[in-house]
Amino acid sequence: MADGSKTKTFIVTRFDPDRHEAPTTETYEVPVRERWKVLDALNYIKDELDPTLSHRWSCRMAVCGSCGMNVNGEPKLTCKTSLAEYGDTVRVEPLANFPVVRDLVVELDGFMDKFRAVKPWIIKAKERAVEEGPHRQSPEELEVFRQFSMCINCMLCYAACPVVANEPEFLGPAAIALGHRYNEDSRDEGARERNRIFRGEGTIFSCSYANECSEVCPKHVDPAAAINQAKFRAVLDWAASFVTSGPREE
Amino acid sequence: MAHPQAMQPARPPRTRTARPKAPDYLRPRMLSYLLFDATGIVYLLAGLVVLRAVFALASGPAAWQAFVADLHHPGYVAFHLLTFVSAVFVGVRFFRLFPKAQPARIGPLRPPPRPLIHAMLYAVWIAVTAFVVAAMVGVIP
Repeated sequence: MADGSKTKTFIVTRFDPDRHEAPTTETYEVPVRERWKVLDALNYIKDELDPTLSHRWSCRMAVCGSCGMNVNGEPKLTCKTSLAEYGDTVRVEPLANFPVVRDLVVELDGFMDKFRAVKPWIIKAKERAVEEGPHRQSPEELEVFRQFSMCINCMLCYAACPVVANEPEFLGPAAIALGHRYNEDSRDEGARERNRIFRGEGTIFSCSYANECSEVCPKHVDPAAAINQAKFRAVLDWAASFVTSGPREE
Repeated sequence: MAHPQAMQPARPPRTRTARPKAPDYLRPRMLSYLLFDATGIVYLLAGLVVLRAVFALASGPAAWQAFVADLHHPGYVAFHLLTFVSAVFVGVRFFRLFPKAQPARIGPLRPPPRPLIHAMLYAVWIAVTAFVVAAMVGVIP
């Protein structure tokens, strides 16, 4: 085309809880530009072709984690995924493993509960007095967990995980990576508490190390590494409870 | 007096949602993971073959010779080839994922760099394989 655009076919999942019994699909022909991302095409559909389409997005720079969707079967951040990666037909679906609220929008409630469950905050045995000054942390201490703190809660790892598909109660990659991030933080003293949670049912030992979470993570958090490192820590912590003072771990 | 619930916010009923869709198991990476899972069946069958070998050994020379003769059957040869391929596949997958599962630190100790762990794993694998082959061909008495 003279304006540098090329038409691609988008097969988009549609679901209106008031009208549809189950999700259906709708096809749109979109004149895409060379540098467009998948999100640009969805916004074009919304603005120019079908204003009833619902999808989440916000920052457009892979920071907010809102625009995760399955693109040609693979969980992707649509604002980061170039259309040049795909052929003439692009299939856009809501993230797998999540109930669908409408079109491409999924329900987040259970996901947020899983985050809360791992106590993602710094736990101190005793509150630090203001006079003691800030708790300093060396670059080496930061480097131990920095990678795991890069998560933007986009949920792609949950959509890719075969364990979440079979066991919806599974705590899941992002939540465990977040818990592990705090366990590895030199300022934190809550590892024992979190490891007790990690040793419970549907947590770290449910993970079969498919590694899909790490493959799809747009921020290279590597949740699979966090989960498997957390397994080691949790077992070590359990074994240590037999030789150290304090209540014995179950 | 106002009704006790007069100032409470309206609570609309929960929206009906569509059932979650399963991940796409036909993607190459997912297929590779399913294949990895399926190797468990091969190892189960290999375990049964080993059990049969143990029973044949316990039943005397004639039973053992019959078992060894059975191993020459093309079906057994194909099965052992499949077991070998499965073992290599699982080994390579394990070696690829093992380094990043190491704890970031144990006290003051840090794990070596990942490429070094990879190299060590393959070195041990090659050494053990060479030892087993040498024992099988009689180089090591």
